[in-house]
Amino acid sequence: MKLRILLADDHEIVRRGLCALLQKHEGWEICGEATDGREAVEKAKELKPDVVIVDIGMPNLNGLDATRRLLQYDPNFKVIVLTVTDADQVIREALDAGARGFVLKSDAARDLVAAVEALQSRHMFFTPRVNDLVLAGFLEKGHAASRSEPPQLPTLTPREREITQLLAEGRSSKEAASALNLSTKTVETHRSNIMRKLSLHSIRDLVVYAIKNKIIQIEMPMDSNHGAAKVSPPSQ
Amino acid sequence: MMTTRILLADDHPIVREGLRSVLQRRPGCEVVGEASDGIDALKKAESLQPNVMILDVTMPRLNGLEVCRLARQRMPDLEVLFVTQHDSAQMMREALAAGAKGYVVKSNAARDLLDAIERVSQHRVFTALTTREPDAGD
Repeated sequence: MKLRILLADDHEIVRRGLCALLQKHEGWEICGEATDGREAVEKAKELKPDVVIVDIGMPNLNGLDATRRLLQYDPNFKVIVLTVTDADQVIREALDAGARGFVLKSDAARDLVAAVEALQSRHMFFTPRVNDLVLAGFLEKGHAASRSEPPQLPTLTPREREITQLLAEGRSSKEAASALNLSTKTVETHRSNIMRKLSLHSIRDLVVYAIKNKIIQIEMPMDSNHGAAKVSPPSQ
Repeated sequence: MMTTRILLADDHPIVREGLRSVLQRRPGCEVVGEASDGIDALKKAESLQPNVMILDVTMPRLNGLEVCRLARQRMPDLEVLFVTQHDSAQMMREALAAGAKGYVVKSNAARDLLDAIERVSQHRVFTALTTREPDAGD
């Protein structure tokens, strides 16, 4: 029986590349595709894939929240998170969300097949950097007993995170309500709770919070050299 | 039918794989090489002599706009099509000013790429941002 894989990425060109890569492997099939986190969750529930590959930075519902939802629904789902960054915060969130694989998009051509194979064998797959971070975390816990714990930052509920993402993406309360099948009043209540919990005073503050906490992702701003140092061109 | 020889330059192999799989649908399109950074893209453009170079804007070692300027100076018959995540009219203007004939956004690349290649290979302009309908102007 073939291993069934669900792909979730908002860029079709990336999904085409992932399909081309994974379908070379005999015994694997792409059973479905999703263009945002919400669709990924719906399709996973419907298609029951063996492995779900999710991009972190998707609209509507990001990959980390989609992963949380999937695993709340069924802890047996095996999820590989694809990301453009291996920042500590992103790694921690992916692990906390329950992902069993973590692959950088820039290395996907090299690592993704190995990641799927690992999950197929009921192992996990993380890049060396993630392994280092996990190990550092274990070691730090051993030293933490003698230190006082820092105060816990307020955390948002899954629903509040969803609404934070939609509002930070520029939707109005009414549009967010429509996307979530809630009343506008309910969304506005959640919005007030979010702002109060996080001590935010404006939508701009909310957007900044969402970016800092990887609820939404933005393109890197281009500097005057457009993202790469100028070097001398090859000599003739 | 004349074959359009295409060089792909993007630092993500998965994106290059995706572009290749879309291009393979069109008879007459041949991917002659791939590059993962700007310096490699220039070298391969010179050695492989493609008709069209598909470029990302943000690449290591030399960014896509610089590659476009230099390539168009050295190889005036080579046309450049940008496929980029920068869904920005400002960036598109810069790309066209650098000598590119085409500009499509990655989120719609699967939809727009083949039309863009057809136009650009005929030395015609093709631009498409997500906020605007594709513009297949001359």
